[in-house]
This record gives sequence, structure tokens and C-alpha cells, in this order.
Amino acid sequence: MVIVIGIKEVEEPKKQIPIVGSLKGILLVAKHLFEKPATVEYPETKPYIAERFKFRIFLSLDDCVGCTLCEQVCPNLTIHMQPVDRENPRNKRKIYPDVNFGTCTVCRNCEEICPTDAIYLTHEFETSRTRNSFTYSPEELQNPEDEVKR
Amino acid sequence: MNVLLRLANFFSPLTHYIAYILAYFFETLFMLIFITISLVAVIYIFRKYMARLQVRRGPNRVGKFGIFQMIADMMKLVQKESILPKKRDDLPYKVAPVVVMLGLFLGFALMPYGSFYYIGSLTVTHSSVSLVLLIAVIAIMPIGEILAGISSHNKYAMVGALRAVAKDVSFEVPMMITILALVMMASGQTSSPLNIDSIASSSRAFIAYGLVQPIGLGVFMISMIARASYSPFDLGESDSELVSGHSTEYTGMRFGIFYVGLFGSIFLGSMMVSTLYLGAYNGPFSGDVGFIYLVIKTWILVLISFTIWLSMPRIRIDKFVNFGWKYLLPASVINLILAGILTLGWSL
Amino acid sequence: MTEAEERQKWVDLNMGPQHPSTHGVLRLKVKLDGEIVKELEPVIGYLHRNAEKICELDYYCDSIIYFDRMDYVAAMNMEVGYLEAAEKLLGIPPPERVQWIRVIMAELSRVASHLVWTGAFGLDLGMLTPFFYAFIEREKILKIFTEVSGSRQEVNYMSIGGVYQDFNEKIVQEINEFCDQFPKKLEDMYDLFTKNDIFISRNKGIGVLPKEVALDYAVTGPMLRASGVPYDVRKAEPYLVYDKVNFDIPVSQKGDNLARFLVRFEEMRQSIKIVKQAISKLPEGPFFNPKAKKSLMIRLRGEGDVYARTESSKGELGVYIVGDGSVKPYRLRVRSPTLRNLSVLRYLAKDQMIADVVAISGTIDLVFGEVDR
Repeated sequence: MVIVIGIKEVEEPKKQIPIVGSLKGILLVAKHLFEKPATVEYPETKPYIAERFKFRIFLSLDDCVGCTLCEQVCPNLTIHMQPVDRENPRNKRKIYPDVNFGTCTVCRNCEEICPTDAIYLTHEFETSRTRNSFTYSPEELQNPEDEVKR
Repeated sequence: MNVLLRLANFFSPLTHYIAYILAYFFETLFMLIFITISLVAVIYIFRKYMARLQVRRGPNRVGKFGIFQMIADMMKLVQKESILPKKRDDLPYKVAPVVVMLGLFLGFALMPYGSFYYIGSLTVTHSSVSLVLLIAVIAIMPIGEILAGISSHNKYAMVGALRAVAKDVSFEVPMMITILALVMMASGQTSSPLNIDSIASSSRAFIAYGLVQPIGLGVFMISMIARASYSPFDLGESDSELVSGHSTEYTGMRFGIFYVGLFGSIFLGSMMVSTLYLGAYNGPFSGDVGFIYLVIKTWILVLISFTIWLSMPRIRIDKFVNFGWKYLLPASVINLILAGILTLGWSL
Repeated sequence: MTEAEERQKWVDLNMGPQHPSTHGVLRLKVKLDGEIVKELEPVIGYLHRNAEKICELDYYCDSIIYFDRMDYVAAMNMEVGYLEAAEKLLGIPPPERVQWIRVIMAELSRVASHLVWTGAFGLDLGMLTPFFYAFIEREKILKIFTEVSGSRQEVNYMSIGGVYQDFNEKIVQEINEFCDQFPKKLEDMYDLFTKNDIFISRNKGIGVLPKEVALDYAVTGPMLRASGVPYDVRKAEPYLVYDKVNFDIPVSQKGDNLARFLVRFEEMRQSIKIVKQAISKLPEGPFFNPKAKKSLMIRLRGEGDVYARTESSKGELGVYIVGDGSVKPYRLRVRSPTLRNLSVLRYLAKDQMIADVVAISGTIDLVFGEVDR
């Protein structure tokens, strides 16, 4: 199927005197010398964080009902349910999700499907670790990043 | 009065020979210190300048404004394991970086640097044919690159070396002819036109040879760009096609020497252009600060070279060979004829 | 000399998969006669991640993140392609406002993808600086993406029957600002490339792809349009609301590297035109279809088979889904445009110089997440 309307033939650049055009290009590049650098020097200045930017998953153990929907919807088996010995009348099976941040793609499906808003994501994003594995147990998911042992 | 004589005077309580030997030794040492500082400065300023043109910040972690970045890089390169290719041709492989460095330092040793107040002029070599020597010496560096390319038993390096040969052949003939025109014109001014120092001192502040030979200046500048082998003529080590040309198989300090050689030849080339065509150490005011004038002219040319490097795409090898033989060579011959007419007709 | 003796002289050269010029992990087996490439064989599969099979093991709503990761420089375009098919299969058409939002996002994503291509093409030719100018502009688009979806590159913005969250005033204002300042920067970049003599000499008449060959190899997208075939799915078979916006599709009759470059630049200008129109025409309304509420995400069932094609930034993207009435697709298949475009490289590279082969493979706009899937 070939279209007839809305076609625009692109024009080739006009022939020009040799070298003059290249000099223009050199000047164009040289103009950028006095521009402010676009670099964000990360550890000193924090990057811009948008309102909807989310990374770290949090879990409020009191709200969780252990319905396993988050485990089901997770696209790449990041969330697994773990038994936790904890008194909670709403969570009869005593199972809570843990999250492996090594594989989490921050698709936010778990947050969207959670019926009680127990699992949610926050702005926190500095979750780098050196020794331990990336798996956060349900208790660790409850705490902010500073209090989780690394 | 130059540095050598001052040093000889200083050591004169010793015998004559020992005084001169020591004087030569220290003069060479001064020159080496100057070259080392210049090379470090060229690399640092290149990285900063490139970063600012590309709206980045450049090195800024080691020391204030990243001043000690070069030292950190050198430490890294020295510490690195030197990985040698198994099927290498051992001797040329190891000699090649040395050859590159040797050509670079010999080139610097032949330049006249102009006087600087009481210290005097730092001219190491006093020869009546130093221009011929200089041209011979700057032809040494490509030999190092070719040795590196052929001996490291790598197809990329091989193709890079072959390209470097094709490139050198096509720009060196026009370069020689422009220098011939320069010598021809200088012969009307001085009695020893093959001496760089007398060429430099014969070009007064505003009657620089570049003004009367603009074509010669252009051809020589292009030749120097091609000589130093950076974009648009970085055919020997074109990053995107041949991984990095002749230095593909080099690691550690040996690679570092090739890297320094590239920037050193940019600096040497700029210095040669400013010495031969832009009035060398002559400036508008007194001759006492000739060294400063030379350094300023050189740095302006270095910055222009960097801007050209960063804004031009790479030319294709066959197009460059065409360009060398079909445009540069006729241009240089025209320049030679014009120079002859000027020399005879107006006895400039 | 016989042909066999001739072949004896040829040098085998292996470019890639870790070569500075092959975008991503392409491996080229090249036979060289001096500097001339006599034969070339692209070897693919180094980034094969089995995305199609993984999609078949997941719910319909989960596959979106794998489409993000196929063409990671134009993620929104891939999402549009998948959702065109999935929504048709599941019977959940998106509301009017969502369609306009998707058009805006897809066009911005197309601009971002072409900017990446511009920068990388400059690097292929040895131009170091335009790369950064292109990426600074792209960063502004990614900032808009962060503002709407929360992520820069793998956005996961669109969901079945809707989008993740609605536009607010700040986002509309940011998009308007971008559309106002971008064309000037684009023209600067255009001048930087096309005014350069060496750039023109490296591209004009190099890698000519005739119309017939392009059609034979099933080449689509800017490459096909640069060869003189005015085919664009947005015009030929309008999806979303592309029939309600006014834009031209750029065509060139030359078919060389320069034509491909010019077509892509013109496409960026047209995309900005589309975004401007869409922002002004953006209707009010819900931003998701109530049939696909979030709590129903994993209960969507589809039956039958459906094929949808959309125009991604690289060419025609086709998605084929077979549903067997369960919550997961029975078969999912992606017709990736770059794979077809890459297959023509063997034809284009024959008897070219090795420097030109790098430039030609640059003009194809390769993204290996999409080729290997």
C-alpha cells in the first residue's frame, strides 16, 4: 500500500564553497565553550528526582493480608512469599513478600495490584550493597534504607 | 647570550671540557623538564577543553579541577600488567614506542626557543642545517608506528600501519615543497637559510612568512595535522574502524607512550608552524620575552587544532591520498612559484 | 588470475562483538582485499534474551516491560506496538485521551531514538562532539519521561486500556517548552553535519540501496523511505489517532547514506509538529478503560489471534499474539524492523571500503535488544 498524500521530498544540502562550511561547523562547536556544563556531579549534588520517580519497595506488615497477588503479578519472580512468625489477625497464613532488588525492574505492578496498599514504592534509590545479597526480608522492607543492615 | 654559555660560565672554575659537558647536560635537562611540563599541560588542557566544548566538566576528581589527573593516569598505566601478544615480533614490538618517543624529543631538541630575560635562549642544537635535520627527525615517528603495527601480529594494527604509510607518503611531498619555498624566501634575508634560528629571527614581528605565503601556511598546517594523525586525518588509528590502529595490542606504559606521542606531535607541529610561519619568538615589543611569544603562538595553534579535531569527521583513506596528490601538491607548487616571484621581484 | 586464487589473497577480519564501532554486539565476518570489503556476514544472537518465550509465560500486563527492553532507545514505540495487538485481542479499546497521550509519547520517543542515532552516526564517522549535543537534547526528553512515568528509559508507562498516570499541567508545560526550544538546536546540529565537506563526501553516493532491493529485503522505516518508497504505517494504515493529525512523511529518491540521514532529520521535525498538534488537541476524559481496572490486571483473558503493525522509530513493528482463552498468551511473536534492515547490510557492504561499511552499518540504526530479542 503506497501513500500519495502527505509526502515531502527531502532536499539535499546546497553545494557550497569548500572549507567555508567546515569553518562554520568549527565555529558552531567553539561557541559551546562558554556554555554551562550539563553534568550533574552526583555524590555532591543530588540529581533531579521527579514526583513520580519511584524505586525502593516498602511493605507495611500490619496491612499485608498475604494474598500473594504481588507474587503472581511480578513479571520476573522478584517477589517470593516468606513465612514470618508475627501476630496479625488479617494475615492468617502468616506469609509476607520479600523482594530481591537484584532483579526488580520497578514495573510498579505490585503496588498497583495490592488490595490493601500494603506494598508501595518510595523515592529512595540509593540501595547499593557490597556484601549481602540483594534480597530484602519482609522485616527489612518495613524499614527505611539507613536502618537496613548492609 | 644563551643558557649554554651562562651555564659554562657558571661551571668555569672547573676545567673547560668538564664545564661544557656539565653545561650541555643541564641544558638538556632544562629542555626535558620544559617538554614534560608542556606534554602534561597539553593532555590536561585537551581533556578540559574537549569537555567544555562538549558541555561536560572533564577531569575534576584528583586535586582541585583535576590538576593531578595526569599523574594519577600515569601511575595507573605504570602499574598495569603489560600484556604481550604471543606471536609478536619481539624486538620491533618493544622498540617501537621508544622510536616514537625518540623522534619526538629529537624534534623538540632542534627548535629555537627564543630568549627569556636573563636566562637567555634555550636552544640546544646549533647547526647550520637544522631545518634539514628537523625534517629528517620528524620522519622518525611514523617508523615507530609502522614497526608497532607490523610487529604486533594483529590485522587491525597491520591495516592501521599500512594506512599510516599511505598517509605519510601523500602529505610529505607537498610539505617538503612548501618548506623549499620558505627556504627560498629566507635565503633573501639571511646567509644561512637552512638554520631554523636564522629563519625565525629573519621573520620580523609583522612580516611573518605566513603572511606572504598564506598557501604555504595552509598546506604546512594540514601536513602537520596529518603528521600528528588526529581527526580529520587520524587514518592510522581510526577508532571506529580499526580498534585503535597500530597501538591495538599495546597496554600499560607502552600504550601511554603512543598516547603521549600523539599529543607531543600536536605540540611539536604547532610549534613548528609558529616558528617557521608565524614569526617565531618575534613580538611587537622588546625581544626579551621571545620565549613567551613563542609559547603563546604555539598554544593558540594547539587550541585551534583541538577544535578542528573535535568538530570534523574522519576523511576516507583514498580521498585523503587523492587530496594529497591532487590538491596539496599543486597548491604547494603554486606557492613555490609565487615565493620565487616574490623573492626575485621584490627581494623581500 | 582465477577466482580461487583471488580468494586466496583475501584477509579474514573479525569485527565485533566487542569492537568500538559495531553498535551493541554485532559481529561482522569480513573478507578484505586490501581496504575493500569483498564479503561480509553479519552474525547475530549475542544479546538473545528469549523475550518472546518469557512473554508467553507471563500475564498480558507483564509483557510490557519486556517490550521496553527490546528497543531500549525507543521504549514508548514498542509499548504502543504491543498494546495495539494486546488491546485488540483482549477487547479493551483505550479511551480517546489515552490515544492522544500515546501519540505524544510515541513521537517524543521517536525523536529520542533518532537523536541517539545522530550522535552514534557522528561517532562512526569520527565526529566526537555532536554526540554530546544530541544526548543533551535527548536528556530533556528523558526528563519528560521521568516526569510522566517515573523512569528514564525502561518507562513501563502504558498499560492495557490506559496509561499509568494522567498528564498534569506541569508535564504539558514541559513538553511545550521542549517543542519550542528543540527545533533551533536541531537546525544547529543539522548545520554542523551538512555544512561539513568531509561529511558530505563520506555520505553522498555511498551505500546506495535501490528501491527494488529494499522491497525484496522487506526493509522498512526510514531506510525504505530514503530509497524512494513512500510507505509509513502511520499513513498507510493509521492506528491510534494518526489520521487526525497533519504531518508529512519524508521521502528521498537517492537511497544513499546522506538520504537516510536527511530523512531521519526531517522525521524529527515532523514528530515535533505532531506533538505540538496533539498537545493542542488533547481532549479531556478518563486515562484508563474501566474494563481494565488495576485489580483486574491478571484476570484479562483473550482468545483468537491478532496481528497489529505500528511504525516504530526503526521501521514497521509487527506483533502477533495467539490467545487460548487463558490469562497468558499462547504464542507471541515480534516482527522486528531492525532485523530485516540489518539483513540488507550484506548487499550494501559488498565492494565498499571498510570505513564506508562502518558508516553504512551506522545508517541502519541498529539496536541489538530488538534484533536478537
